[in-house]
Amino acid sequence: MPPLTFTVGAGELWAVIGPNGAGKSTFVRTALGLSRPVAGAIERRPGLRLAYVPQQSALDAIFPVSVLDFVLMGLQGTGNVTLANPRAYLGRARAALAEAGVGTLERRQLRDLSGGQRQRVLMARALATDADLVFLDEPTAALDASAEQEVLNLIQRIRQLRGAAVVMVTHLVEDGLERADHALLLDRDHRVAFAATAAAMRSAPEFEHIYARFVGRRAQEEEKS
Amino acid sequence: MSDTGATWHEFFANIGIFKEAILAGGLAGALLGFLGVHVVLRRMVFASSAIAQAAALGVALSFWVPAVIDPLGHAAGHVAGPGGHVITSPLFQPVLWAIAASLLATLVFIANPVRLHLTRESMLGFVFLASGAGAVIIGDRITQDAHDLATILFGSAVVVQTADLYWVGAATVVLLGGHLVLWRALLFVGYDPLGAEVQGMPVRALNGFLFVSVGLAVALCTRALGALPVFAFSVLPAMTALALTARIGLCFVLATAFGAFSGVAGYAVSFRGELPVGATETAMAAALLAAALAWRYVGAERDRRRARQSAQSASGGPDA
Repeated sequence: MPPLTFTVGAGELWAVIGPNGAGKSTFVRTALGLSRPVAGAIERRPGLRLAYVPQQSALDAIFPVSVLDFVLMGLQGTGNVTLANPRAYLGRARAALAEAGVGTLERRQLRDLSGGQRQRVLMARALATDADLVFLDEPTAALDASAEQEVLNLIQRIRQLRGAAVVMVTHLVEDGLERADHALLLDRDHRVAFAATAAAMRSAPEFEHIYARFVGRRAQEEEKS
Repeated sequence: MSDTGATWHEFFANIGIFKEAILAGGLAGALLGFLGVHVVLRRMVFASSAIAQAAALGVALSFWVPAVIDPLGHAAGHVAGPGGHVITSPLFQPVLWAIAASLLATLVFIANPVRLHLTRESMLGFVFLASGAGAVIIGDRITQDAHDLATILFGSAVVVQTADLYWVGAATVVLLGGHLVLWRALLFVGYDPLGAEVQGMPVRALNGFLFVSVGLAVALCTRALGALPVFAFSVLPAMTALALTARIGLCFVLATAFGAFSGVAGYAVSFRGELPVGATETAMAAALLAAALAWRYVGAERDRRRARQSAQSASGGPDA
């Protein structure tokens, strides 16, 4: 990967875009501190709290996990591995569910919810952690337009009311650039790693190079219609 | 005894003789039932089977190695009869070899096979097959001890030795105690390992604890009861509980209870019907699962019928 320097500021929304195999997941793992960078360094503000919202498909539906239990998982971690007294955290978990608009679903099984409801519950766990930086893995994948809008509204809420930064991995390039303030573009051959504002990204040669065929295909489709 | 087997009166009159075997079955069922919830949810049901095979290989080695090192002394032990056939060195206690072999097998699950471009499932197959083949080959070399080995492998042990009961009891107290404290943490790292790691959960240590505790439980219970019921207890009670409820906490309670019941009731039925103990305990656990699945099916059918009826009444009748 070529040299890349960028800073994620409070309240910003970043879109990590690139084709399959470009290294988006590797970037996220590295940024989360789960993998060491091959070179360079990641600096974090002291006391920075991170949260990770997985793809829905990454959660095995065989597990009987209730909505409330899932959000309570967000309150486990360093210093509270066992969650020995879950009752003490119920208030926080319920407040997060209410903020995400899914407060009435707390007794339901996560696997039984619709895609949109499930995504909001996943994000409620990030809300419960009171994180400063939230990583979202494909948060709008396989959602209909209405559910997608609800999720995007929730992202806005995390940024504006909580002041948290959001880094969103997405394969929906246009959507990502439309919603985000900044974008990080990665390419499959690892020769391109380019960070810019969303507006600047659209006119960047690297972006045009990678997505030219998609843009071209879309233009052809629009002409036909 | 009657023509068709012992009576219940005879069973209760002789319960003192079988008390240890019944207790061992109940404790093993409870411990493995609880652990089984993690085993089933993590889709590693054959892990306990593979570990049981490794434990059997360890037991076979514990018989074979002394015979290789000191063939004359070993043969003299057989000539002296069962009383004289004692293992003098604590180094060759079968339970220790079973534990060692099981822990070696669990290393396969702790290690990340993806680095070798293999899946964990395929490594399970490797452990199962290599251990099974090893146990059979070594079993063939120790014909004088073959009956003991077959008993361990196929779970026809009617009487459990006091020492084995103590091992199983100690494992149940220690491991179940640890799992009662860590069940939520283990559930989290099994369900969402990346999210757990981001939040600072000690994922590797927790997974290591789970795999080592499964390895220890399977090794000790296999030595006492045999491979077949141990595999059954680590899978079937958890499946039964998961079929009956979606409340995860209740799943652990039910799986523990069903495992204990299968161990105790399976032993009693095997006595009553003069059936092989391990196979009957396994059949008991399987019968509970079959009943749970039938219960669930009937409940689902009833719910569907009610939904159809309410839809019909809402639309003004079946013809509407």
